Amino acid sequence: MIRVAFDIGGTFTDFVLHDSRSNRTLTGKVSTTPEDPSLAVEAGLKEMLATAAITGSDLGAVLHATTVATNAVLERKGAATGLITTEGFRDVLLIGRQKRYETYDLYIEKPAPLVRRRHIVEVRERIAADGSVVAPIDMASVDLAIDAMLAAGRESIAIALLHAYANPEHERRIAERIRQKAPGLAVTLSSEVSPKFREYERTSTAVTNAYVMPIIDRYLKRLEMTLAEIGCRERLLIMQSNGGLASPVMARDYPVRVIESGPAAGILMCADVARSIGRRDVVTFDMGGTTAKLGAIDNGTPAIMPTFEVDLVRSRRGSGLPLNLPAVEMQEIGAGGGSIARVEKGMIAVGPDSAGAVPGPICYGKGGTLPTITDANVVLGYISPDRFNAGTMTLDVAGATLGMEIHVARPLGISVAEAAWGVHMIATTNMENALRLVSVERGRDPRNYAMVAFGGAGPLHAARLARRAGVPQVVVPNGAGVGSAIGLLQAAPRIDVSTTRVLRLDGRDASSSIEELYRRLEAQARSEIARVGQSGEPQWSRYAQMRYVGQGFEIHVDLPGGPIDAGYPEKVAEAFRQAYLRKNKFVDEQGIVEGVDWTLVATHGRHGDVAIRMAEGGALGAQVLTRKAWFPEADGFTETRVLNRAALLGAATFAGPVIIDDPYCTIVVPPGDSVRMSDAGHIIIDIDPEGRS
Amino acid sequence: MTALSSDASAKLDPITLTVIWNTLLSIAEELGVTLRNTAFSEAVREGDDFATALFDKNAVMIAQGNYSPGHLGSMPFMAKQVLEYIPAETLKPGDSIMVNDSFIGAGHFPDVYQIMPVFVDSRLVGFVCCSAHQVDMGGAAPGSQKVHGVTEAFQEGLRILPIRFVREGRIDKDIMRIVLGNVRVPDKVRGDLLAQHTANLSAAARLQKMFSDYGVATVESAYATILDRSEATMRETLAKVPAGTYSFEDYMDDYGPNTDPIKMAVDITFDGKGSVEFDFSRSSDAVPAAINSYINYTRAYAVFATKTFCNALDPQTEGSMRPIKLTVREGCFFNPRFPAPSGGRPILQIRIFDTINGAMAKALPERAMGAFSHWSNPNIGGIDDRTGRPFVMYDVSLGGYGGQYGKDGVEGMTPVMNCSNIPVEVHETHNPVRIHRFGFIPDSGGAGQWRGGCGVQKDIELLNSTATLSHLGDRHVFAPYGIFGGKPGALAESILNPQGNGERLHSKETRAIKRGDILSFRLSGAGGYGPPEKRDPKAIAEDLADGFVTEEHAKREYGWIANAENGTGQS
Repeated sequence: MIRVAFDIGGTFTDFVLHDSRSNRTLTGKVSTTPEDPSLAVEAGLKEMLATAAITGSDLGAVLHATTVATNAVLERKGAATGLITTEGFRDVLLIGRQKRYETYDLYIEKPAPLVRRRHIVEVRERIAADGSVVAPIDMASVDLAIDAMLAAGRESIAIALLHAYANPEHERRIAERIRQKAPGLAVTLSSEVSPKFREYERTSTAVTNAYVMPIIDRYLKRLEMTLAEIGCRERLLIMQSNGGLASPVMARDYPVRVIESGPAAGILMCADVARSIGRRDVVTFDMGGTTAKLGAIDNGTPAIMPTFEVDLVRSRRGSGLPLNLPAVEMQEIGAGGGSIARVEKGMIAVGPDSAGAVPGPICYGKGGTLPTITDANVVLGYISPDRFNAGTMTLDVAGATLGMEIHVARPLGISVAEAAWGVHMIATTNMENALRLVSVERGRDPRNYAMVAFGGAGPLHAARLARRAGVPQVVVPNGAGVGSAIGLLQAAPRIDVSTTRVLRLDGRDASSSIEELYRRLEAQARSEIARVGQSGEPQWSRYAQMRYVGQGFEIHVDLPGGPIDAGYPEKVAEAFRQAYLRKNKFVDEQGIVEGVDWTLVATHGRHGDVAIRMAEGGALGAQVLTRKAWFPEADGFTETRVLNRAALLGAATFAGPVIIDDPYCTIVVPPGDSVRMSDAGHIIIDIDPEGRS
Repeated sequence: MTALSSDASAKLDPITLTVIWNTLLSIAEELGVTLRNTAFSEAVREGDDFATALFDKNAVMIAQGNYSPGHLGSMPFMAKQVLEYIPAETLKPGDSIMVNDSFIGAGHFPDVYQIMPVFVDSRLVGFVCCSAHQVDMGGAAPGSQKVHGVTEAFQEGLRILPIRFVREGRIDKDIMRIVLGNVRVPDKVRGDLLAQHTANLSAAARLQKMFSDYGVATVESAYATILDRSEATMRETLAKVPAGTYSFEDYMDDYGPNTDPIKMAVDITFDGKGSVEFDFSRSSDAVPAAINSYINYTRAYAVFATKTFCNALDPQTEGSMRPIKLTVREGCFFNPRFPAPSGGRPILQIRIFDTINGAMAKALPERAMGAFSHWSNPNIGGIDDRTGRPFVMYDVSLGGYGGQYGKDGVEGMTPVMNCSNIPVEVHETHNPVRIHRFGFIPDSGGAGQWRGGCGVQKDIELLNSTATLSHLGDRHVFAPYGIFGGKPGALAESILNPQGNGERLHSKETRAIKRGDILSFRLSGAGGYGPPEKRDPKAIAEDLADGFVTEEHAKREYGWIANAENGTGQS
């Protein structure tokens, strides 16, 4: 089958086309067209089809990762949205959880809510925590609410009532009435999009869904028109935040599920790379122009977190809009190639401010005047000034050096090279701390993990980061520069269905209750699978959010498979205790265990084990050049070999220091480490055991 | 005080220093995350009513997490007091100490500290610590925060002077039994005490790893530099404040039904060279009710206010606290002698800040703000009819900020203390209550060029046959002030059964309530900044559209004239 994948990023839209019969892979990059992203898709797709000498009808699948939903939220360019809620609770969304993300800063702002107070309307009804109806819904108040929404020009409505997770009936009645009275309005039910307790977080999730729903709908319409013209409209699937592919229908109903679409695709690519080199456990490291993203894969499966936040301020936890949805585990920090370096309190600080694409790092020569991480890497001799971005840009080394001198070296009284090295190392340290959050903080010993590095800047910092964090091996995948698009080719249709049901495992009915709720989840999953257009029996797996009775937060526990019988609750409890000990270094043997959110995952088979591999090439061929690059192990600048990937073909192993030019990234191998190519065409760096911490 | 010399820091390179400092902050932050995620009580797991700190081997504080300032600022004094009871050389790996004394700790018994020594190769290298507000420590009323009628600390529940409650890795079951035998909700207290221990264990493991990565000498050298740098940064910022003495006075409503107001007075002296002194001595004497502010608590908020005004983002260490001096005469409300009762002292924290803010307005007019809309911290407890076991519903209601230079007071963000609210759905799941309203009170924010944030109303119905309310609020008599011509916010009110005869409750009253009673807690609004006549008419129109103010209020306070034709208006 021939499949094409495209990932729309902030600067470039990346394409990968793969033909499983000939095992041929093509890549491409075109500039993103923010005003209408489908324009770039059209241009890029046509180019890919022409190069491959095929037509749209030859495509078996069109796979897509998008940041449209994320950007609508970040830029507050979503739909005109209204919120209908329970009488007495109009302000839940605006009040939030109230904690400051900076204790000592009383001047901070909360992120602007997606709905203003004037567009939040109450209806008379009340449901109790156990789902019983305290006050039946007053449909006259519902009609008034709908009229108010229409009068205020709302195009999308979120409905979030108290305890709707326990009884969705009232939310459904309101939705029904909206569909009768105003069929043009988009409607989101909190009980469908996020059936979990804690009203603020559930409301926030529902409102975010409503806010992006018409945007995604319009976007998909344009995209589908483009694809229809090319002749492959029916084959479109979209990446969700949890790493599964969904149909456009699903993405239209639950657009909030595609918020982390791009990062999820990247993680899947890493999982595939891990498989191809025989690794089950990897940490993932994606560093681009403005941020670095760190994630993890355990036992071959990308880690999925039950909740996340969008629109964080200063990367501070608790500063963003919470979303009660599973997403690939990701720690994002403001350290990218464009992050600006400065001196504060006699120390070097890097990021989170970024020079972005405009004006960009000094070395781009587009008017940037403040030194960035990329400038530091140019000064250190790591980046080939004449072969940056597949040779499309020439970098200004002198400008980068001068900027580093003025803004970092002189204020600290150190040399320019030392300053650049300081910037490089501080950035690495910041990423190390983020890496810790996804590794040791969550019970993962980095010594047992490999690191998969991708993105424009990831492979440059990876070996140093791995060394500091104690990770023994780095893998730079084939096609690291278009990693997320490759990941799309490796995704499988996946449906997660969840329910909230607080269930003590010591209860007499525990096993029958678990059996019953999983039976219902399976029915729900099957109906969703039908909408994705999949046939055949999926693979099933279960997980739950669990805690000790009395706690308020749960941990993720993968549940055992097999029949749910009388012995099952104790197996579940034991799985919890193991997970708890790994995470917290303590187990309370007297504690009673309960499950809160129960999830069933249906996965359809992937498209075989596709080995995606770019052709080796490039101007350098197997030729080896040298250049001076700075390494503390060599006490400063030292003559360093610079090679192309092709030089590594044929089982050659090179000892560091070595620099490898990939079309869209640079790989730096410090002294002590060694580098080679795997059978699948990935570059493997073995980290010096002496240098690891 | 510190035994570390600054000479040691000279050799440390800036990169290693940054790495160590960031790692310390990350450990202190994660300690709190583990505590929250493993805790049992709503106060800790939902409300974030706790704090964390890391110390060197001499109990000098090196790093803290982003948590509650009353606890954070009490840490250095607490740690040194603990080591006077239990000398460091008697500690063994796996030990952990517990303390809740109001003089040593954060000023009332519910705040329990656990401090754990950390060893590397059997050598003491430092301590990890967390404090947590236990939802009950026994005493006169559920929640251990009863104010009125409590005249000495011995009526406030279990007092724990520093004890080794974990010895070489084993939790002392006898001590645990004493503690749990004295509290109303033993399951929650046990769960939270274990959560504190779990969090310390996780942090200690990371600290050990850092010491073994970099070596004890390097880390200790970094500690010295961190303390010196943070002290120098604080002095640098304090030196920028114009030298002089700035004074302000305000009044707490009272300390129970039929009692007098409490004078809160501060004189703040900046010497222009990098030091500041806070003197609260002109305030009232200590009162015979459980609301006194022990010196450690007073200091915590003086330190908090200093950082807020001068140096908010620099990480707090004991070094950054050195230039801040506190002078309070003994026996004063802000420096009582033991056994002064203090269970209800949380209600003071915003008021201490408001008092300092009033003085700072004269020194740094563009940093000062209108007084906060204050908060309330009621505890409702009894025997749950459904289970036959005690329950304590600990609640926090948090309102808006005062107007600030250039912007209106933020709505609905925690002032001063840094807690979260507890979700309605969580309360209703665990306690026999139904909440009928949780939202802003229109027109309550003080008018101004930049208006104060609105107060928040929470109406709670009791579904149990009986319970005891231990109310904790203020600003029912003295409204949150506005500054530079801004108007005060509306007064707070607490009303029993507003749908019926609407009896007014006192802000610090303890009383029995019965099934069907509705408690309506209405916070005051925050004070405005600048004269209302200077307010941008567009901002008034926006407030009207969002219902933060009514048209009547806009007319009265801003001279607003509605323009019926196009829905806008002018003032």
